[in-house]
Amino acid sequence: MLRTLLLVARQEARLLLADRTLWIISALFVAIVGYGLFNGVKQAALKETALASVLQAQMRGEQTRRALLGRILHEGALPDPFANPADPSVMGGGYGGRYAYMPISPLAPLAFGQSDIRPDYYKVTNRSKINFLYDTEIENPWNLLSGHFDLSFVIVYLFPLLIFALSYNFLSAEREHGTLKMLLSQGIALPHLVAGKIAVRAAVLLAWAVIVPLVAVTILRPEARSAEYLGPLASWCAFVVAYAAIWFALAFTVNALGRSSATNALILIGAWIVCVLILPVVLNVVVSVASPVPSRTELATRTRLVTGEALTRYATLLSTDYQYVDNPELSRPQNGRIAIAGRMRGSYLMERDVDEQLEGLLDAFNRQLAGQQQLISRYGAISPAIVAYEGLTAVAGTGVRRHLQFQRQIDEFHRRWCTFFDPKIQEGIAISEADLDSMPAFVSNEEDRSVMRTSVVTGLLQLLVPAIALALFGGWRLRRYSVV
Amino acid sequence: MLEAKNLTKRFGATAALDSINLRVDPGEMYCLLGANGAGKTTLINVFLNFLVPDGGEARINGLDVTRHGIETKRLVAYIPEQVMLYGVLTGLENLSYFAELATGRKSPDDELVALLSDVGLDRTASSRRVSTYSKGMRQKVGIAIAMAKKARALLLDEPTSGLDPKAASEFSDLLRRAREDGVAILTTTHDLFHAKQTGTHIGIMKRGSLVANFSSETLSHTDLEALYLQHMQA
Ligand SMILES: Nc1ncnc2c1ncn2[C@@H]1O[C@H](COP(=O)(O)OP(=O)(O)OP(=O)(O)O)[C@@H](O)[C@H]1O
Ligand SMILES: [Mg+2]
Repeated sequence: MLRTLLLVARQEARLLLADRTLWIISALFVAIVGYGLFNGVKQAALKETALASVLQAQMRGEQTRRALLGRILHEGALPDPFANPADPSVMGGGYGGRYAYMPISPLAPLAFGQSDIRPDYYKVTNRSKINFLYDTEIENPWNLLSGHFDLSFVIVYLFPLLIFALSYNFLSAEREHGTLKMLLSQGIALPHLVAGKIAVRAAVLLAWAVIVPLVAVTILRPEARSAEYLGPLASWCAFVVAYAAIWFALAFTVNALGRSSATNALILIGAWIVCVLILPVVLNVVVSVASPVPSRTELATRTRLVTGEALTRYATLLSTDYQYVDNPELSRPQNGRIAIAGRMRGSYLMERDVDEQLEGLLDAFNRQLAGQQQLISRYGAISPAIVAYEGLTAVAGTGVRRHLQFQRQIDEFHRRWCTFFDPKIQEGIAISEADLDSMPAFVSNEEDRSVMRTSVVTGLLQLLVPAIALALFGGWRLRRYSVV
Repeated sequence: MLEAKNLTKRFGATAALDSINLRVDPGEMYCLLGANGAGKTTLINVFLNFLVPDGGEARINGLDVTRHGIETKRLVAYIPEQVMLYGVLTGLENLSYFAELATGRKSPDDELVALLSDVGLDRTASSRRVSTYSKGMRQKVGIAIAMAKKARALLLDEPTSGLDPKAASEFSDLLRRAREDGVAILTTTHDLFHAKQTGTHIGIMKRGSLVANFSSETLSHTDLEALYLQHMQA
């Protein structure tokens, strides 16, 4: 049996090579995989450079501020009131704010995911989080995918089409051509013939789809070679294989129905349109109806409203003149205390109130977003394309879940930041050198590995179970395959 | 070796095979005659388990072909009316593949080239792509494929269709030798002369039924022609 399989596979490879199909499809596939990877690598490198330069600038800024504070405290230097490291209202704001960032995964070149629509770093200050956290939106990737030619796009959208190009008529053509009778009359079993034919096609396409990206990523991103990324890399490969399995199973089943090659092509393209183009949009609509996110306009209106109220509330503070103009000495810390300008205190309080009053709305916003994500991971199983896309981006570290988790961390960091500066601003306590060490610093935490593992296993099952079911159905139909 | 018992096959309302009984023993060559659509190809297809009969049974070497599809096909070699091969490969490469599938071992190229020249395909022709072949040349490769299998029974569906007279007569010789070696042959044909010359038994089919069945020695060529036409007109 193994002998027959090998013989059929060898012959199949020879035939595919001889009529150039394999060359053309391989060349096309390698070209688009390469282009997708190139885009991914380029984008990840850009983001990394940007993040590194931001963090470096922050480090230099902190050194400057520390040195300046030293000169103010020990050498009697007169501070610039708007760049005063001793003033908590200045340090808590844009002058001393710190970046919160999501480290870029070495596997990021494998999928853009959310990474090119959501920033991976934010400058956290004591201003309202509405200013940075909600200025972008978790976008549904399906609205964007078509615009981004990355590897996940190649795999989710184009890979099935190449599988079809190579397999839509793998059995029907033999029957139509008359060679099937010649083959079977030699006394080989139809399932062996089919298995040999599919094996060659799957081996070639998967080699390109899996090996090329693996080699590229491990060469270009040496960090990806560490043991830590072995699991994610293996999961990524498993997703590609499982996704391919479903389309191969479909091509097999359609051939086993015994229709003409033309009909096979129509059925397969139809299935592709439904699974890859239509179902994701339908799920999108259903999810946004079932778990609607408060509208952006509503958020903007509410923000304007509470800001307006806060403005009136703190009108007196906000309209005070900067006292440094008449008395520059006031910006100097005295015995651990400092005069906070009324205008600075007012604007801080205003921002604090905005956060407090929008809390409920923002919580609802986040809950709904999380709810949407949950619905997608639960009902995404209706389309293998959704499952594969979610899985590929998740293991590449650019998925929605990681971004949402990052946002929660920023939110938390923002809270710590404000809590640190709040009493100092309210009571006019100057920033000391010790404060520079105890100021909240952002430490990013990756999500629990077990969460990731569960989602990978779930995703793979959502692909493999239908693939096996399809293949079993195809196998059952194959038993009744009519050769003449 | 080959045996049909009350074999029946219907396509909708038409009975392509209507309770056929026949038997071909080793060393015999059974020639099936009959008009177009009489059911000859259907009978061969049932023996190859390409079609499942609605009634009766077909046996090869005592094994029911429906239940032992693979084993029984290993015992027979088949030549269809239109031998179809892989156009992008040469005649030799086609023969090599089918022969390896049938026998489970790779035959040396010399052996295969000799086999091809036995059936009338010289070395230059057999190293050309099959897409450049005429129908008769493909038929010759089909014959070589069947011979390479060294089967104990042959199922031939108008095997000489498209062969030039010389090749056809060489093929008849080949069949005669095979028969003398104890191979059982069931062939369909429209060539009464050929049937009389090489066949040991002759059957005439009409609308799915075997209307006549006799030993070829019992009849002269003219008698056969008369009998055939008589059946066709009735
Ligand atoms: N797959 C099929 N579906 C429906 N009818 C069929 C099928 N195959 C054969 N038939 C019918 O069965 C009958 C016998 O056909 P068959 O091909 O066996 O004839 P034949 O004797 O081989 O004819 P010929 O001399 O033209 O080769 C015909 O009426 C034909 O129309
Ligand atoms: Mg026929």
